[in-house]
Amino acid sequence: MELTTFSFFIFCIVTLIIYFIVPKKIQWVILLISSFIFLFWNNFNASTIIQILIILLSSYIFGILIEKNYNTKKGKYLLILGIVAILCVLIYLKYTNLFLITINHILNFLNIGYRFELVHRNSLIGISYYSLIMIGYLIDIYRGVCKSQKNIFKCALFMSYFPILPSGPFIRYNSIEEDLYGKHKFNFKSFCNGLLRILWGLFKILVISQRLGMFVDTVYGNLSSYTGFYTILAVLFFSLQLYTNFSGSIDIIMGISEILGITLPENFKAPFFSKTITEFWRNWHITLGSWLRDYVFYPLQKSNMIQKLAKKSKQKFGKKIGKKISLYISMLVMWILIGIWHGGKYTFIIGTGLLQFVFIFLEDILSPISNKINKKLNINTDVFSYKLYQCIRTFLLFSFSLIFFRSNSVSQALLIIRNMFDLDLSFILNGNLFKVGLDVLDFMVLIISLICLFIVELLSLSGSVREKLFKQNIVFRWLIIYILLFSIIIFGCYGVGYDPAAFIYRNF
Amino acid sequence: MKNLVKTIIFLLIFCMLWSITFKFFWVDKTPISLFYKQPKNHFDVMYYGSSNAYIHFNTTLAYDKYGFTTGLMSTDSQPFGVIKYLIKETKKYQKPKLYVIDIFKITDDLKEIGDPAIRKSTDSMKFSMNRIDAINELLTYNNTDKSEYINYYFSFLMYHNSWKKIANVSDNNIGALDSSSLYKGYGFGSDQTAISVQKDYVWNDAVVELPKKNEEILIDLIDYIKSNNLNVIFIVPSRTLSEIQMGRINDAINIIKKNNFNIINFNDLNDFKIDYSKDLYNSTHLNVYGATKYTLYFSKYLHENYDLPNHKNDKNYISWEEEYMRFKNDFNKITKTDFDELISLYQY
Repeated sequence: MELTTFSFFIFCIVTLIIYFIVPKKIQWVILLISSFIFLFWNNFNASTIIQILIILLSSYIFGILIEKNYNTKKGKYLLILGIVAILCVLIYLKYTNLFLITINHILNFLNIGYRFELVHRNSLIGISYYSLIMIGYLIDIYRGVCKSQKNIFKCALFMSYFPILPSGPFIRYNSIEEDLYGKHKFNFKSFCNGLLRILWGLFKILVISQRLGMFVDTVYGNLSSYTGFYTILAVLFFSLQLYTNFSGSIDIIMGISEILGITLPENFKAPFFSKTITEFWRNWHITLGSWLRDYVFYPLQKSNMIQKLAKKSKQKFGKKIGKKISLYISMLVMWILIGIWHGGKYTFIIGTGLLQFVFIFLEDILSPISNKINKKLNINTDVFSYKLYQCIRTFLLFSFSLIFFRSNSVSQALLIIRNMFDLDLSFILNGNLFKVGLDVLDFMVLIISLICLFIVELLSLSGSVREKLFKQNIVFRWLIIYILLFSIIIFGCYGVGYDPAAFIYRNF
Repeated sequence: MKNLVKTIIFLLIFCMLWSITFKFFWVDKTPISLFYKQPKNHFDVMYYGSSNAYIHFNTTLAYDKYGFTTGLMSTDSQPFGVIKYLIKETKKYQKPKLYVIDIFKITDDLKEIGDPAIRKSTDSMKFSMNRIDAINELLTYNNTDKSEYINYYFSFLMYHNSWKKIANVSDNNIGALDSSSLYKGYGFGSDQTAISVQKDYVWNDAVVELPKKNEEILIDLIDYIKSNNLNVIFIVPSRTLSEIQMGRINDAINIIKKNNFNIINFNDLNDFKIDYSKDLYNSTHLNVYGATKYTLYFSKYLHENYDLPNHKNDKNYISWEEEYMRFKNDFNKITKTDFDELISLYQY
């Protein structure tokens, strides 16, 4: 059930009506039932039930046991056992093929003819999200940040809360517990706020992302015909497509939760206004970054192995460089994990892992040099033009890394990079640009929509755009809402001739 | 309370804007949409069938001759299975004294029924459970995936894309005709003035069994007609037919006759003959000359055999006179001949 389909729309309406009709103390039960219906939609079988049971029971039982053995060595072992149990399910379902591909590469390298056949595993929607969420839950109990949930059904709701299953964001038990199991009265303001956010999400997905996708899919689907400018445009479009698709789905999720009275953490903060890749990742998929920082990066930095390495490096290269070496190693591990989390393919590991690390590493070591050059050449870095240059540079670097993310294989990604340099400017005159999945009118809609998106993102930097809108007079306010609504209805890419908007991030 | 009022006003404005918007994006030009625009209990005869119905039967000419009004619920390649639902739809708004059902499409291989045929026959129907039932029935013929049904229930899921071709009309137009070419449902344009020479043929009485599902659909319709005590006449239109189509029609004729219903096969009459070298504008449709001949014969038959009222000189039916005059003027302009002279050539 995709977020922009009619069935999901009906599913949400029914859930909301029942949720606000039933006695408040059982509202969470309605959410649990809805979540399980959503989770098992079209995928109810023994395999998926076992997957859920293993993760749920591991989290529930180990959570209680870890709490009972708080601050003991036994507690630490129980935590490791709990994490291993959850990871085993995740790895089995998502990463078996990554191992098999790696082994096949090694066998090929060793000139051994045998090849392992790749396998298809039937996993439930959102497994990468709720696996990590439950690992975070166990770690939080171990750290004493939160108490374990004694009611297994409540624990199940925390794990499977349906709006976050398709695309996140990552939630933490201590920050959502009160909202999730609390009593919620229907609030008209939250309802309007939530609806407006859902509409904005639909606009991003159906009007912008789907349209960009038509161009991108055409180019990526026929790499021998489209080279040069078309490839460059497809690469740039894909970044925008991914952003509008992912952030749009988060808007829908946040909007639904807002109506339900549940506050979720923000996942994006105008990432394309970031001046560096480091800043970009602070504004893009924020909850994944903070999850990995708190549960992987910091523990790794404090681990004995890294501490020893830091000590040795300091002795050998001096305090400053020695400290950096241990930092870079922890970062490298974290970025590889981010890449792996995105999927069991090398393209993800390179695109959203290694390349991001390389960019951040280069930014870090080159920034003193660039500062010196700027000073020597008397370049003013506080002006708009320089900041714009930095934003464009970040956008281009991120778009470049996504070539791997979007490609089916590393060799295809390399072909695309090569194609980008095969420049031919004849497209300007021959009008072929308007035959690559989008016609002139589609381009016009796209440009106007992107300008709207840009304005809204810019306004969001100085506070909630919805709050600003709700402060306006009713005529202007309603005018904007009607324009948004009818833009989606008329210009949205949905219905006959279009596939339901598939969420790029739903398979992670 | 204030919020409730605001919400209601917001929704009312939304509905208003919606209806205005979709008038632009979905230019509905089927005889079915014209049916809804007529006053209640206005039609004396209702006529169902594929394009052979609205291109062959000139409702304005029938009115001019005998004063009875005919409503056409006809769309291109209209699947036979939808007729029961169209009759149900008719009964909501009209009380016709006679139902005319063209049975040609009973010969269809149901799996071959295409999307345009289903869309054209259901998109123009007003949203109701009856429309949903009709869609559900038709979509089972070609095994459409259930997840696609929603696109048929809500037409805007298809037609919202028409924003790119507002001037070009949506996919829902009727072939070469436009709305001004419909005269009380009868479709006439310059295409219909052409002459396509076809091979003459003699009706073959050999019977080819209808496919099981087709037979079920026919029997279901007959049962519905009987249970509602409707006055019905079935017809087989004049057109070229393959051996299989003729055979299947013969089987259908036998079933209809067995159930004591009247049926006229216009390909097998002694006193009415289509001239295949003059009366068609393509292999399957009568041109305006053939249609005039057919209308004159059939309207006379209906007038003589059924108790149909004559509304001529009734002010409430003045629009029928006007539409007939509009048709005649257009015919005279396009063909540069006189329609009254044409009529005088036929003996019916």
